[in-house]
Amino acid sequence: MRRAAAVSAAMAAPAGVAAQSATPAASTAAPESSTTEAEPLTGGRAGSDFMVDTIKALGFEYICANPGSSFRGLHESVINYGGNEKPELLTCMHEESAVAMAHGYFKIEGKPLAVMAHGTVGLQHASMALYNAWCDRVPVYLLLGNTLDATMRAPGVEWVHSVQDAAAMVRDYTKWDDTPMSLPHFAESAVRAYKIAMTPPYGPVVIVADSELQEHPIADHHGALRVPQLSLAAPPQADSGAVAEAARLLVAADSPLLIADRLARTPAGLARLIELAELLQAAVISTQPNSLPPIAAGRMNFPNRHPLNQTLRSVAAIADADLIAGLEIANIYGATHIFRDQLERTSRPATKAGVKLITITAGDLSVKANYQDFQRYVEADLSMAADGEATLPALIEAVRRLITPERRRAFDARGAKLADASRLVLERARTDAAYAWDASPISTARFAAEVWQQIRSEDWSLVNGNLSGWPLRLWNFDKHHQYIGVSGGSGIGYGMPASVGAALANRKHGRLSVNIQNDGDMMYAPGVLWTAAHHKIPILTVVHNNRSYHEETMHLQRMGNRRNRGVDRAHIGNEIDNPAIDYAKLAQAMGWYAEGPIANPNDLGPALARAIAAVKRGQPALVDVVTQPR
Amino acid sequence: MMKTLLVIVMCAAALSGIALSSPILTARSQPQPQPAPADNVEKGRLGFVRVGCAQCHGREAQGSPTSGPRLGPNGLPYPAFARYVREPRLQMPPYTGKILPDADLADLYAFVQSRPKAATPPALQ
Repeated sequence: MRRAAAVSAAMAAPAGVAAQSATPAASTAAPESSTTEAEPLTGGRAGSDFMVDTIKALGFEYICANPGSSFRGLHESVINYGGNEKPELLTCMHEESAVAMAHGYFKIEGKPLAVMAHGTVGLQHASMALYNAWCDRVPVYLLLGNTLDATMRAPGVEWVHSVQDAAAMVRDYTKWDDTPMSLPHFAESAVRAYKIAMTPPYGPVVIVADSELQEHPIADHHGALRVPQLSLAAPPQADSGAVAEAARLLVAADSPLLIADRLARTPAGLARLIELAELLQAAVISTQPNSLPPIAAGRMNFPNRHPLNQTLRSVAAIADADLIAGLEIANIYGATHIFRDQLERTSRPATKAGVKLITITAGDLSVKANYQDFQRYVEADLSMAADGEATLPALIEAVRRLITPERRRAFDARGAKLADASRLVLERARTDAAYAWDASPISTARFAAEVWQQIRSEDWSLVNGNLSGWPLRLWNFDKHHQYIGVSGGSGIGYGMPASVGAALANRKHGRLSVNIQNDGDMMYAPGVLWTAAHHKIPILTVVHNNRSYHEETMHLQRMGNRRNRGVDRAHIGNEIDNPAIDYAKLAQAMGWYAEGPIANPNDLGPALARAIAAVKRGQPALVDVVTQPR
Repeated sequence: MMKTLLVIVMCAAALSGIALSSPILTARSQPQPQPAPADNVEKGRLGFVRVGCAQCHGREAQGSPTSGPRLGPNGLPYPAFARYVREPRLQMPPYTGKILPDADLADLYAFVQSRPKAATPPALQ
């Protein structure tokens, strides 16, 4: 009704006033209400004010959005009624960036960010980032604007921006959604959505905020208009009998291996995995971005220099194991098999015969059919559909009760061997890093070593990037916030906005956020650079600039050679060169401190030092590094 | 968007070290390419980039943990090197004689063997 009144008012406006830019025919129509009492043109507290009450009650600190008319009421309520505090609105230049910022923020802070978007074109932009969040088990709280009542839509754009079932497009990769039809319904569903998103396995949720509901003055709900209490659910723990059996198998094993992927939801998860591994003196594979197999890159689960960490010799560790426990690992098949991508694609076990397999994952509680992120089926000996971190305390106690002095002596001997093996591979990695030390373009190993030299005395947080696995080899990761994993869905365009979101969370902790940013990924939606500068989010971004979509270059080499045509033209469609993009100028144009391109390795350290000084002044800073391909 | 696949396929050789040292390779009975003349290092350097070796192994053949192992110096003996290039056991794309003639292959070997030894490893605390 209020929308109709606004249209009528526009029709009655004097010539030349912007509001009269409706259709020419409209200017001859009589105002609908001209024969009766004057229509109210202003109202009191709007529905979206109550929506903001609800959002505030849920504790959101920020709400990300690229502005859109379908949520204009909510936008206005956030900044005026809500005072633009908790949540503070962050201006984003792409909905994909908004969702990815929420993605990165959560993995540092452990709390979701809210995102507002158009229910149609905004969600279409946001959908890839939502898929990443789904695959990475990250709760993103998405509020969509939409006008369901067709008679209330303004002619033209409002129709093409309206949809019958807004959330349908992303229902395959969101955990829950609803389209509330009243404010009490909104409040209940908004709280329910938060609870569902935050119950492991975490996942994104969608609430459609109808524009009429947003913009109408609040009606009399006879005292029923209240925000329900949020009661978060305890995470699901494994069955006690299954835990006891898992403990028996672990204690009896001669060569147990713990593989952890998205296990440590919180710092406590890291501490518990250390406790379990040390209790058993068991080998651990974890935090292994872009390595073979790509199985454990999800979270910071285990210190990389811990003597039991066998990640850098994962092939041998997997082959040696007589028992493998997969802890929140999405791709246990990939961990236990070697896939060969030749003309005939083959797969064979990477394990020895008779190996026992235990899995603990809340992922088993959240499998859908269409998108295939659930990976290949594995034949586990013991499978627990439960949250890994929540199950570890019971598993640790069960293990502790079963350890005899004899087993303890065997464990200690095993641990000593693992420590020797771990030390050797770390030493070898350092030697390997020294090859091509002075090469230009700069080697990825030198790149990683130079960054480490600058950050090692800081409270740092690697918020994106793997740099060909060199940080894992050369840096010292021992805190949960020092690594936050990968995108989940391998949807490109994640790195830069997720880093900005993570840096936003790190800001209040005074941490130095470090983003090692692939060049191709950066160009999907570089407008997030402006968002970082505008909202004064300090972050060090170092561009891993190999001037190509390098992964795809290697794919093209494979195809060209397989067909006996060679690789000479594999750069076509993959190179990002001619002209080379000047990322420093790009960043400077959006308010960043920036240097580069840097191709001489001796120039890199000083440039990084200057950039970090800028970050410490509160400014985002970028260093563009021209690198070897990998 | 197919990021994970190549990670899988390229890393096997990089991390395992199994393929390049496999006795299966050296036991095969194929014509043995001749050792490379030492004066073809520069041709090998150019070829190393042109035929794409540098994409996975780096321009200095230094290797990368996520794509391909270091090739030199002190890599495989030439016969094993050549056999692997022709018939890779794991993930590397195969290079037939049509796209990489024997003479060019020998130049590549000369190049990777000529690579300098590592500098002093970085000090890491």
